[in-house]
Amino acid sequence: MQTDNSNNDSTTPNGLRKARLAFAISAGKIAGASGRLFHIGGGTSLPGMIARRIDPNVLKSVVGDSKAKKIVITGSNGKTTTARMTAAIADAAGHRVSQNRTGSNLLQGVTSVAVNFADLFGRLESDVLLFEIDEATIPLAVPEIQPDVVVITNIFRDQLDRYGELYSVAQALNSMLESLPETATILLNGNDPQVANFGVNAKARRIFYGLETKDIGTPVPEQSADIIRCIHCNSDFLYEVAYMSHLGLYRCPECGYTLPPLDVAVTSAALADNGEGPSHIKLRTPLGEMKLDIPLPGVHNIYNATAAIGAAVALGFPLDSVQTAMNNVRTAFGRMEKIQAGDKTIFLSFVKNPTSFNLMLRLIAKHEGKKHLLLSMSHTVVDGQDFAWLWDVELEDIAPDILDAVCSGNKSEELALRLKYAEIPTDKIIEVEDREAALDEAIKNVEPGGTLYIMSGYTPTQELRRIMQKRGWVKHFWEE
Amino acid sequence: MSEQKTDTGMVIKIGHLYPTLMSVAADRGNLFSIERRSRWRGISIDVEPIYVKQTPDFTKYDLILIHGAADREMEVASKDIQHKASSLKEAAESNTVFLSVCAGFQLLGHYYKPFDGPELKGVGLFDLYTEGSTTRFMTHMALECKFPETGTKLLVGYENHSGRTFLGSKTQPLGKVLAGWGNNGKDGVEGVVYKNAFGTYTHGPVLPKNPWFTDLIIQRALERRYGKVTLLPLDDSTENAAHAAALKLAMEFKGTMSAIEATAWKH
Ligand SMILES: [Zn+2]
Repeated sequence: MQTDNSNNDSTTPNGLRKARLAFAISAGKIAGASGRLFHIGGGTSLPGMIARRIDPNVLKSVVGDSKAKKIVITGSNGKTTTARMTAAIADAAGHRVSQNRTGSNLLQGVTSVAVNFADLFGRLESDVLLFEIDEATIPLAVPEIQPDVVVITNIFRDQLDRYGELYSVAQALNSMLESLPETATILLNGNDPQVANFGVNAKARRIFYGLETKDIGTPVPEQSADIIRCIHCNSDFLYEVAYMSHLGLYRCPECGYTLPPLDVAVTSAALADNGEGPSHIKLRTPLGEMKLDIPLPGVHNIYNATAAIGAAVALGFPLDSVQTAMNNVRTAFGRMEKIQAGDKTIFLSFVKNPTSFNLMLRLIAKHEGKKHLLLSMSHTVVDGQDFAWLWDVELEDIAPDILDAVCSGNKSEELALRLKYAEIPTDKIIEVEDREAALDEAIKNVEPGGTLYIMSGYTPTQELRRIMQKRGWVKHFWEE
Repeated sequence: MSEQKTDTGMVIKIGHLYPTLMSVAADRGNLFSIERRSRWRGISIDVEPIYVKQTPDFTKYDLILIHGAADREMEVASKDIQHKASSLKEAAESNTVFLSVCAGFQLLGHYYKPFDGPELKGVGLFDLYTEGSTTRFMTHMALECKFPETGTKLLVGYENHSGRTFLGSKTQPLGKVLAGWGNNGKDGVEGVVYKNAFGTYTHGPVLPKNPWFTDLIIQRALERRYGKVTLLPLDDSTENAAHAAALKLAMEFKGTMSAIEATAWKH
């Protein structure tokens, strides 16, 4: 992997440094524009990549000179939608927001924010800079950004092959938090036993968000839950309620470790019966109680909304326009995105780990009738090499309702095998490696007026979306 | 799946050791594989989870499963398993089948010495020891294995471990490394076999993509109780396609460390 070595600019005259920055930004902008013109991957990381080659300090220079509030959002699941909701709240409060959209959250994509929104002198007009950043990029990106607020949503078993083990991810995040100054704020998900313990020795202020209602959830965490033992004494946690994977109201029977008092808390919640939304919640915030309707479905979107409100609280934004903001947030690309394909409906879901896959399966299970599926996974640098996690996906419950399942991508054999061992009859499992041919095959199986459910990894989701965009079913995602 | 065969009246008694404590990398797929392939042949499965603080008589099981975990979980397991060690060894001596993966495999050896922590004591069921390292072996792998029942067979999987395991004289390796790193990246072998006890670093999980190995485990587990058994053949086209894809990948990756270096997390 290429790393950016900061050049020692102290020997370089100031004028030259500025010229270099301007050259980096303009080259990045041109690359971005031509990327869009030629439809290369949405053109989201190209500007940053080109600009960093020319000036490795481009992100640091642009962000450092800006007076904007800087928010970094990280964690395994929910980054993109949380960022969208936070942006919507800031926007509704009258702030100008710049953010890295469309899930391009590695260092190059993050740098693209600076390149796209800065003028050639490296100046940003924005009041709020919002960075959605992959956990692995955090140790590199945070020192360059110097954020005012860091949000950590959750830590799940996510592409273990990339990070080695869960705890080393946690350790690196923790040392990043300890490096923040006391002027910064850390917003943590209190329902995640590990996240809630982050930054205990940090100088920065810590505040917590989460759910504390018993209206929803299950008595025990699902099978694939990652951290169900006490982080202090290793005893099995007792759960009053588990909301999603290992997130819940936990308590250690041995040492008493439990969740901290929540600053922004969901005190009641009702999910829509149809699996589509809206969810109705009540919240307690430092600014008072509030009711909120969240148009996006599922408990994960309750978390996303609560995190976004927490970020607004951390920045001192008023909360009176939160409902308006929520109504303006549409599903992030490929998050149970509803797509009309002639007289057929498609729900496109991006899944990358057992938690996100199980969430989608649970939503789909609420839709009536038997289901047509298209599953697509590929091993790539972005999607990872190890797909063992598919065996932690709880497919068994939905298996009897599956009419047919097309398996696609260069992991189609793995998917087909997983479905066979969920006891879906092999004559209902169709393998078509090619993405477009698989989409055609899957659509063909759907009756007029019927629905196709697509669940796919990151690269396949992008590619499938590009095919559907070519067919006029969806818009370019950079136009959203 | 094809129709379930008539009930054979046979049952395999499985002890699943630390099912929640040691459950990393979706290795429970191994249990699915054994369950389904037995059931599809009319063989019943009786699975007992065995948790911390429980000390059953392990000789009553035909098959014992123990899977992977991170160092922290392994620390807990290492303390607890000392209370189970003598019974586990007795079971191995009386031909109970063991499938141990990654940390489970390490834990059945003499000890595991993490790179930056105190030594964790193992069971000593396998004559082997493991030492931690700063670098991690992460890649697709392929092994060549040979058993009397199966002849020469290929085993495929994905390895992800920083421990380096060295076998003692009382054991055999599970296979010869064709692609990947194996036990320690030096001696060209992977895993361990002692009587009916198997250890391996292959995740994937290993059994679904290697139906011949699953069937070997099922057969040996049955023979312990019922004497000579011949398993009904199954249609393995889905399994064999996945095996072939994994083998191709392992060969493509041969000689490369891994697609992505986890440098961001190196201390
Ligand atoms: Zn405790």
